[in-house]
Amino acid sequence: MVTITIVGSFDFSLFNDFREAYSEINNYKIYIIDMSMVEYLDSAALGMLLSMRNAINADSNIQLKGANSFIKNILMISRFDKRFEIQ
Amino acid sequence: MKLLCVDSELVYREIISLCAKNENVIVKAVDCYEDAIKSFIDFAPDIVTLDVIIKGGSGFDLVKKLKSLSGNRFVPMIFLTSHATDSVMDKCFKYGADDFIPKPFNEVLFNIRLKTHIRHVELMKEMYRKNKALTYYQTMIEREHDMAHNVLDHIQTRSEKNSEHVVITRLSAASFNGDLALVKTRPDGARLVFVGDFTGHGLPASIGALPVMHAFFDAVDDLLDVNQLASQLNRILFSILPDYMFCAGYLILMTPHGDITYWGGGMPHAFIRRANNKIDYLQSNHMPLGILPVDEFEADLQCNTLNNSDTLIIVSDGVLELKNCQDEMLGCDQVRTLISECYAEKSLVLAQEKIEKKLTDYRGESVQLDDITLVALRNACPQQ
Repeated sequence: MVTITIVGSFDFSLFNDFREAYSEINNYKIYIIDMSMVEYLDSAALGMLLSMRNAINADSNIQLKGANSFIKNILMISRFDKRFEIQ
Repeated sequence: MKLLCVDSELVYREIISLCAKNENVIVKAVDCYEDAIKSFIDFAPDIVTLDVIIKGGSGFDLVKKLKSLSGNRFVPMIFLTSHATDSVMDKCFKYGADDFIPKPFNEVLFNIRLKTHIRHVELMKEMYRKNKALTYYQTMIEREHDMAHNVLDHIQTRSEKNSEHVVITRLSAASFNGDLALVKTRPDGARLVFVGDFTGHGLPASIGALPVMHAFFDAVDDLLDVNQLASQLNRILFSILPDYMFCAGYLILMTPHGDITYWGGGMPHAFIRRANNKIDYLQSNHMPLGILPVDEFEADLQCNTLNNSDTLIIVSDGVLELKNCQDEMLGCDQVRTLISECYAEKSLVLAQEKIEKKLTDYRGESVQLDDITLVALRNACPQQ
């Protein structure tokens, strides 16, 4: 199990950093994205999460944890529950 | 690194040259005002040392002249002089000096100061280079945004013109984000609507828009079913967009009698303002277009009905996330209130003007961050 914590605004400016964060660690069963300190998330961030989903093993589990209600709403509108575990 | 040494005394020219050469600096030494100006232009030094008293002119005038000749380039000017009173020193800096060392000077001190100035020059050069590169990229991105705007504006010209049955509002943000709205009446009288929101900004966001437009207008001509069009758009976008890009959207077909079938993915609720001021919603219950492979894509549709004097309003998230001067988002509740008020108006065109004004007023002086798209439709059936 491994945790990636995102702080502040989750947007296009994190594109390379976010990719770097998971590309070195691709043999875990459970990945936790800690979003409890994310204030804002845009559609580019959704794209980055999808890109991560594609990059790691299909049978690995990605959990999006601690999102505030505004962000949870964005995740649900785009039905990210189909690819991620939203907690 | 090049240093120009201006000094009328041979002994100082030799000491300064020797010190500088030990720091791997190329030195040119001159003894008078005129040669100093000439060498500054020909030799193009990075650093200058000079005295207050020089043959053929004054050091104050010289420093002023050399500073003006260096233009945008930062060339540190170091005074080395035996006239080390406070008033002389003050005058040196007023005329443009960057440093002041009294003569006779300590060689160690001079070397340290020289190294400091060399570091400054290198930093300035580096900053200049980076600034130039950034300016270049910024200009390029601005051009890309303009181009993306043009591409999308061109696409929208094929869409239906505003009328009492359809109105489309698009307010572009400074940083364009790829909203697309298409409306066209099919040969059988039914109206096909696509409101989409591409991820990303600038040119990449508009790449998907061209094939979407072609598929949309072909579907209008061929009376293609909405679920088939949804599958087709998904397949096209899945194959051309990278995995971090997609398009949220509604595909809506409305018959002349107001029967609605629709597919929605990744979009906020759309509103139906009933004639009695009740608000109903269309809900998008799928993942956006361009994410799921063909075998996983779900094309099931939902239904609703638009009766006479009802209004269907589809907004992009740019409307919900519109911020006022206090940095507060408009939000779903306030949008619902605005819709409820504005679309009480009998004329759809006037209603749309009202809501546009309300949105502009809400925004006030704050910067619009996102594109705003607002499409409103009414039943084409004649009033009974």
